[in-house]
Amino acid sequence: MPHSPSSGPTGHLLPAGERLNRMADAPSSISSRKGLSSAQAPGSPVRDVGGPVTRLLSSVRDGRGFDIVLVAFPLGFLFLMAGLPLLYNVLMSFQEVDMFSLGTLMRPFVGLKNYRDLFAQPETLPILANTAIFVVGSIAGQFLIGFGLALFFWVNFPGAAWLRGLFLVSWVMPGLVVGAIWNWILSGDFGVLNFILREGGIISANIFWRSDPNYSLYAVILANIWLGTAFNMILLSVGLAGIPADLYEAAELDGANAWQRFWTITLPMMRSTIGAIIALGLIFTLQQFDLFAAITSGGPNNSSNVTQYWAWEQSFRQYDFAKGATISVLMIVFVMIASVVYVRSTRHEVRG
Amino acid sequence: MTKQIELSGVNKYYGAYHALKNIDLSIEKGSFVALVGPSGCGKSTLLRSLAGLESISTGDLKIAGELMNKVPPRKRDIAMVFQSYALYPHMTVEQNLTYSLRIRRVAKAEAKKAAEEVAATTGLSHLLGRYPRELSGGQRQRVAMSRAIIRHPKAFLFDEPLSNLDAALRVHMRKEIRTLHDRLHATSVYVTHDQIEAMTMADHVVVMKDGVIEQQGAPLELYDRPANRFVAGFIGSPAMNFVPATVGEDGRSLAVDIGEKQTIPLDRQLQPGRKVTAGLRPEHLHFVEPGQGVFRLPVGIVETTGSATYITTSTATEVTVVDTTRRPVRAGDVIDVSIRPADVHIFDAETGLRV
Amino acid sequence: MTETNRNRLMLLIAIVMAAIYLFPLYWMYITALKSGSEMFATPPTFWPSVPQWSTYAFVWESRGMGRYLWNSLVIASGAVVLITVLGVGCAYVLARYRNVWVDIGLFLILMLQVLPASLMITPIFVGFSQLGMLDYPRLAVIIAIAAKSMPFFVVLVRATFMAVPMELEEAALVDGNSRVGAFFHIVLPLARNGILVSAILIFMQAFGEFVYSKSIIQDIELQPASVGLNSFMGPNTNEWNNIMAYATIYVTPILAIFVLLQRRIVSGLTSGAIK
Repeated sequence: MPHSPSSGPTGHLLPAGERLNRMADAPSSISSRKGLSSAQAPGSPVRDVGGPVTRLLSSVRDGRGFDIVLVAFPLGFLFLMAGLPLLYNVLMSFQEVDMFSLGTLMRPFVGLKNYRDLFAQPETLPILANTAIFVVGSIAGQFLIGFGLALFFWVNFPGAAWLRGLFLVSWVMPGLVVGAIWNWILSGDFGVLNFILREGGIISANIFWRSDPNYSLYAVILANIWLGTAFNMILLSVGLAGIPADLYEAAELDGANAWQRFWTITLPMMRSTIGAIIALGLIFTLQQFDLFAAITSGGPNNSSNVTQYWAWEQSFRQYDFAKGATISVLMIVFVMIASVVYVRSTRHEVRG
Repeated sequence: MTKQIELSGVNKYYGAYHALKNIDLSIEKGSFVALVGPSGCGKSTLLRSLAGLESISTGDLKIAGELMNKVPPRKRDIAMVFQSYALYPHMTVEQNLTYSLRIRRVAKAEAKKAAEEVAATTGLSHLLGRYPRELSGGQRQRVAMSRAIIRHPKAFLFDEPLSNLDAALRVHMRKEIRTLHDRLHATSVYVTHDQIEAMTMADHVVVMKDGVIEQQGAPLELYDRPANRFVAGFIGSPAMNFVPATVGEDGRSLAVDIGEKQTIPLDRQLQPGRKVTAGLRPEHLHFVEPGQGVFRLPVGIVETTGSATYITTSTATEVTVVDTTRRPVRAGDVIDVSIRPADVHIFDAETGLRV
Repeated sequence: MTETNRNRLMLLIAIVMAAIYLFPLYWMYITALKSGSEMFATPPTFWPSVPQWSTYAFVWESRGMGRYLWNSLVIASGAVVLITVLGVGCAYVLARYRNVWVDIGLFLILMLQVLPASLMITPIFVGFSQLGMLDYPRLAVIIAIAAKSMPFFVVLVRATFMAVPMELEEAALVDGNSRVGAFFHIVLPLARNGILVSAILIFMQAFGEFVYSKSIIQDIELQPASVGLNSFMGPNTNEWNNIMAYATIYVTPILAIFVLLQRRIVSGLTSGAIK
């Protein structure tokens, strides 16, 4: 006989008042409690049968339904706002999109023309090369300086943790502000960097960091290394702290010197951390946009342009949205490969 | 006697993994039942199924006569003490104790009174205002217990509650839990991997392995008449010796093969020539004068605990003997031991079942 | 060398290194206080001879910074609220279970985390313009930022939830609570700090966001401070003291939050990014 769960003659659904009485004469009333439970009518089991709505509601309250509700909205949102644009991007890369056809989906399809045009352009290869230099230079600088700092702060002295954390201000600042500061520091005639380098005897004549095509890309790399080093250092510190101290004690007893301990214990133990950090560095570096906007705007003459800035320029400076989409598709494929590396390196976590 | 918890034909699958295999178990109201077995035997899964934290795949689960298969934990009216205690870290001891009452909208004053009464019985009165992080392991354990007691649930479930305590405290809490049970007469199901805990605390012990109930019964029943080799080896410490043996031609003696053949008498008639395994409990092997015993065994290792001496032989099939008489024995000696025919457990050599 | 002396030496070296590393920040604060002529002096002065405090008021007024910062605040707050409301539950579910579906969900989320904003803006802009969303540019930016930053938030908060023992929630269920009740009574309060820190990180990110705002918001009245700073910096500007004053006003609140909550932010950040 189906009836809703709330109407069953069951002990756990006693009216609040009765339950209150049971609590009131606790804990000396075990015998009366016994009487109470044996008075319950046996043999009319509560079946989980209600209307579909009741069942749905009780699933949300007590079962898997709760998880599904929690996860459905964010995933739906992400699909709409990140997944669909991704697909739309691919679609647009096969279409002709300009200011006039912006408002319609029915744009002329051009096949692979956008891709062919892209690779026929003379600036494409230099910009791809710039991107590679930017990525490799930034990651190498961030990682090496970050690792050095992490090793230094690993020696625990009072104030180490706080000072180390302070480095992270470079990472929490808006990228555009970092770019503005470096723009001023790197300025040709009055920049403080040129002054320091001159005084240090490293250069004899001012370097025009932003306007000399030989240096403009390195100006942005310099700023990006500054911005990302602290983040690398913090994550590397976490990795270092995770190496058990007794490993070093054992190695010391085995006669390994500091250098040998670094090569035989620190580096191997840090392998997955280093992998994750480099992958993260790659992802962050390929996302870097603000510094280009604030320091060189990709110039002069594309000498410091990289794909992620160029794609935006095509769409929002030239209003050639199809070309912007085409560059984006190429880059996103590359970024996704990087992220697979990152996901794989973080997969080793164990549920605690 | 009424049945408080009844399981019939309960199966639990995790994908292809069969965690509980056709479990039939009924627990009497007011009894203390221990589920014991090696890790991965399904005892915790069974307990969590009773709580409603896991759903059972097939079969029926009844608590106090009501079918509970699909009832969520909050409507089952049972309490559980977790291995990690699972005290709510952001609540004081008093708030931890009264949490279940507050959910059921018991009046504040009532809840407070109940907490004070329970705290008085478990010796927590002076700690009601503290947070769990400020308590010692034993005190946390008591809070976890009190949190269960306060509700007068239909059953208490314990999931290895003593495994995080040091040895001395564990022995102490063992007694405390049992004393509490004797006072409250609440139906309790206690999961442990420690057979001593199970034997000392429970009225009824359920031995599990690989998702199957191997044997259940009163503690001494399991000790005296283990149903199979697994139970025989699991219950009792140090563990039972198993030696290959053959029934003699008269059917009333047993040729035991411990390196060299030794013959011991049997207290019953068995099929002559049958291959069996003889189970000899270390504490049932006692010293006799030279020449008077049935076994002459070379001594391999001697371990002294003070109260008893564990002697392991250097025979091909190692045999452990427990001696409490402080007889001086050294490695290399030869000892003479004997066993009462009634103390010899005989298992089928192939199936491992008791003969 | 004694332990104390060694510690003092290490601390001294550490302070020197921090000073070098943070020099750009110092240079921003100092430049903002220099006069127009002192700023271009050779050799440059490392301490302003006459601090020009009035620069701040001048920049605030002339650039309309109140409006810019207000827009930044609106956008950042909106994004944080949207991300928190949607992301907390998602992170919880992804932390609670370990199965194939969770792995797939986690993988997709990590994938979305890595998509560069400057590449995603093209389809988002075109799509929004077709939907008429560009008429509500700040809302459009909030939604775009939420989609961009939510994966990062979910990854951080998931780590927080993983640190909450599942048994606590189970104890609450056995104690008589529903899944909903246990989530709000037990799990959320215990994860509160982690959620708060993650929300602050998201806020700081959104407060400085540039690409989406620059591309979507045409109306100067609705632009945030990052876009304002960008338009302040023409190609041949020489108002560096004013620009640095702008940057100072913009960035100091963020730095203050960071320095105050440094420990929590650092530990929250590290628990999520690498396990």
